[in-house]
Amino acid sequence: MEPERQCARCGRKIPWGQEKCPFCPGHGGYFWSLRRDTFLLIILVLLIFMFVVTGFVVRIYRDVEQGYAEEWYTRGEEDLRAGRTAAALADFRAALSYSHDNQQYQLRLAQALMAPGNPPASGAEARTYLLNLLDREPGNATVNLELARLAARDQDVPDAQRFYHGAIYGQWDDDPVARRRAARLELVEFLLDAGHKDSARAELIALAADLPPDPVLQTKVGTLLMQVKGCDDALKLFRQALLEEPNYPAALAGSGECHFQNGNYAQAARYLARAVQQDPQLTEAAAMLDKAQAVLNLDPFSRHLGNMERARRAAGDFTAALTRLQSCAAQRGIDLKAAGIDPLQTLSLQAAALEPRAQPQYLSRDSELLSQVMDVVFEIEQTTAHACGEPQGEDEALWLLAREQGGTHP
Amino acid sequence: MNAAPLTPPVSPNPPLPSAPGFWAGLRKRLAWMQEGEQLKEAQLFLLLAMIIGLFSGLSVVLFRVAIDWTKLLAFGSGLTSPWTRLLLVPTVGGLVVAYLVIRFFPRARGSGVNQTKAAVYIYDGYIPFNTVIGKFITCALAIGTGQSLGPEDPSLQMGAGIASALGRRLRFSREKVRLIAPVGAAAGLAAAFNAPISAVLFVIEEVIGNWNAGVLGAIVLSAVSSVIVSRWFLGDQALFRIPVYHLVHPAELLAYAALGAAGGISSLAFVKLIAYARPRLKALPRWTQYFQPALAGLIIGVIGLWFPQVMGAGYGYIDQAMHDQFTWQILAMLAMFKILSTSVSFVSGTPGGMFAPTLFIGAMLGAAVGGIEHHFFPWLSGGVGAYALVGMGTLFAGFLRVPLTSVFMVLEVSGNYSIILPVMISNTIAYLISRQYQQTSLFDLLSRQDGMDLPSMEERREEVSVHVEDAMREYQGTVLNIEDPLRWALGRAEASVEIFVIVEDDAGKWYGIRKDELHRLATPIRAGMTLRSLLPPEPLPHVHPDHVLEEALRRLGDLPLLPVVNRANFRKLEGVVGLQEILQAYRHAHQ
Repeated sequence: MEPERQCARCGRKIPWGQEKCPFCPGHGGYFWSLRRDTFLLIILVLLIFMFVVTGFVVRIYRDVEQGYAEEWYTRGEEDLRAGRTAAALADFRAALSYSHDNQQYQLRLAQALMAPGNPPASGAEARTYLLNLLDREPGNATVNLELARLAARDQDVPDAQRFYHGAIYGQWDDDPVARRRAARLELVEFLLDAGHKDSARAELIALAADLPPDPVLQTKVGTLLMQVKGCDDALKLFRQALLEEPNYPAALAGSGECHFQNGNYAQAARYLARAVQQDPQLTEAAAMLDKAQAVLNLDPFSRHLGNMERARRAAGDFTAALTRLQSCAAQRGIDLKAAGIDPLQTLSLQAAALEPRAQPQYLSRDSELLSQVMDVVFEIEQTTAHACGEPQGEDEALWLLAREQGGTHP
Repeated sequence: MNAAPLTPPVSPNPPLPSAPGFWAGLRKRLAWMQEGEQLKEAQLFLLLAMIIGLFSGLSVVLFRVAIDWTKLLAFGSGLTSPWTRLLLVPTVGGLVVAYLVIRFFPRARGSGVNQTKAAVYIYDGYIPFNTVIGKFITCALAIGTGQSLGPEDPSLQMGAGIASALGRRLRFSREKVRLIAPVGAAAGLAAAFNAPISAVLFVIEEVIGNWNAGVLGAIVLSAVSSVIVSRWFLGDQALFRIPVYHLVHPAELLAYAALGAAGGISSLAFVKLIAYARPRLKALPRWTQYFQPALAGLIIGVIGLWFPQVMGAGYGYIDQAMHDQFTWQILAMLAMFKILSTSVSFVSGTPGGMFAPTLFIGAMLGAAVGGIEHHFFPWLSGGVGAYALVGMGTLFAGFLRVPLTSVFMVLEVSGNYSIILPVMISNTIAYLISRQYQQTSLFDLLSRQDGMDLPSMEERREEVSVHVEDAMREYQGTVLNIEDPLRWALGRAEASVEIFVIVEDDAGKWYGIRKDELHRLATPIRAGMTLRSLLPPEPLPHVHPDHVLEEALRRLGDLPLLPVVNRANFRKLEGVVGLQEILQAYRHAHQ
């Protein structure tokens, strides 16, 4: 530091680095010669000038930033379409660094962060962006839907419901009815996955009440309704769908399944056969069709059967039931010949008593006997299903028949 | 009969005032205002404060655009840059900045806060205008090319420089010009931070050190004006997207206490590093100063190859840390490398501020502590964003040692007053740790390293006031009543060792007279008169035990003693205090 000097005129300290006193008017040049009012006027003019210059510079810079933001956003969309999620994330972030407040960029970044394959922390970041967006626009349905998906991913049922409802009742920019319906459908699927059947049922009822004549949608909702509410309402939707498109395979399969569940195997077989005919890829429907046909083939109580055929079926069912009983007893290590209190042993005794008469020639003459034989058959199938697990093939058909006869359906 | 029009016909297009006439009128108006008919100097000072705020706001807007544009041109528009750019840009930028600082803008180097304080306390408010230009150019270059420094400190000094120039040109009194620099400083800082309350508090807490109502109004006015301008052009969004805060469990406060401890230790490390390295680098030959910023730039570039977040002010990354985008390990490393890179930048003499790096380090440290807590005790903690926010205040309290500003800054930035408890806990701990192990605050340290002994606001805050109760003694004589006869009073005075006789009246007023004066007045003619007729009509000034000694000294004047009276009962004499007692009390207080 150089030694301090004082101005001879005003007595003030002359600051470091200054040769002359900057406070004395005589050394200030032109500006010091101005009056205070003149200088104030100049300041005001200068202020206006600076406002204009600053506005101009800021505008140009904003345009530059906007250009970069759009460029990076476009790149991000391209990367996202090409499946390069990491690159897309970097692009969207770059876009946002130039346009911090752009809600579209924030939403796209959040959506990219939620894409499968990103680390779990990405979800938290996405949530932050989405919550910020929601703060600004609580009624934004898209944001609510993305938040609902995040909550669903985290199995947070209350939040998921809250945000899905936000999406259902929120504002959509285009096709709000379809989007609300899709959001509700998504909510139903989530609730069913999470095991909240009651809530799902309530949503489905609301959804079913307002469906357009769209067979795909009607069938989808019908299928879901079948899962949570039984078949009556579902069948109505399948019928509506089939009115729109009579050969729609999914609706045919759904109808068939409903009839199957109702124990109406003849109807089920008809629908399922049509469904498989329309779409051979419907493997589940094909399997169900086989079961339905097996039930129909083994049922001795079918109408339009002659006595002999009825008796032949009952005898065959009895033989099959006995085989099932023996295999189940062997599986569980139970000696059927020994006396005991195990239900299988009791059933074995009953079957042994009926076995000599369970022949087509006796059964065709004695409908009472046929009923007794079939009762034992159903008893065996139900007891073995309970003791040894679900039956397969012929036994499954007999078991279904037993449940139908017993008034219960799977 | 048609009545004549009562008013003269009005032209549909009245003539506009001619330009010279309009300007002349405006000038006349201003002249009328400044000549004191309406606008006194104090009012003009307030008007000037607003003008300073507007100019400072505009300068800061341009400054921020300059920094961002430089960064864009230097590093490209992407979030990542090629390694060659990461190494070359800060190095070459450092060389250019060093050349400009040494050759053209020597005052651009160093802390803007201290230079503003120097202007206030040493140079009668004088800050040369080329410092403003120098700060603008060199800091925009330095920060834009990746030096780990922030724009707030330069903005503060630019505001102060603009204020100083305007104040001097308008020929304000010496006292006003001295006060004008802090007014501009507040405006600059407020625009840079987008936080007027914090800026006002900082300037009061660190630059002027007292709540002088005269300057306070001007400071607030300028800060508000500058923020309005800044928001006008740059938008009113906060520097960061503030996360939602709620205290999950009271035990979470322990984590905030841990954050305070970590912040205190980090602040200490930061200050010690600067305190150690800065004088050593300054002591190197002058030619090395051309290369020190370049070397700092190279070091930062190398760090930037792995942690590009440490380059520049880093506000974007603070925002990311607040929103859970880094693991706690990365956050801890970012805090550590930012301390290193900022120290390197600052001690190399590169112009730029410490505010943004302090916020960056605090945010990273806070988020790291939050992340650790969330990792080990997930049921106890909320999001890391609140920790990052509190961490910023913590480093502010620990490193810059401005406890009041640090609390209000977090409140103002977050707009959430429920965060005050964690902020206060954390900031207090950090401040106490820093204060305990580093006696001198950063700003005082820097000014002393530069050979200036600027008043330390921290020391001033912590100065122990000596009060009247520390100095007063018992009155040894008899207190006389104003209605006592002179003869009787003389007898009582004779019996006393005091040279000054204290007299009271029934209204609780105190009078006094020297014993020799009493003797002189006690002529036989006056022997039967009461003291009232002899004593001066004005009562003695008195003090209360809690008055500071400065006040007692001021009231004492030429009197030998002052009565010390009870605040609740003015007739109760607690003691007396004289010059000798006051001096003795000062001596004891400073032993």
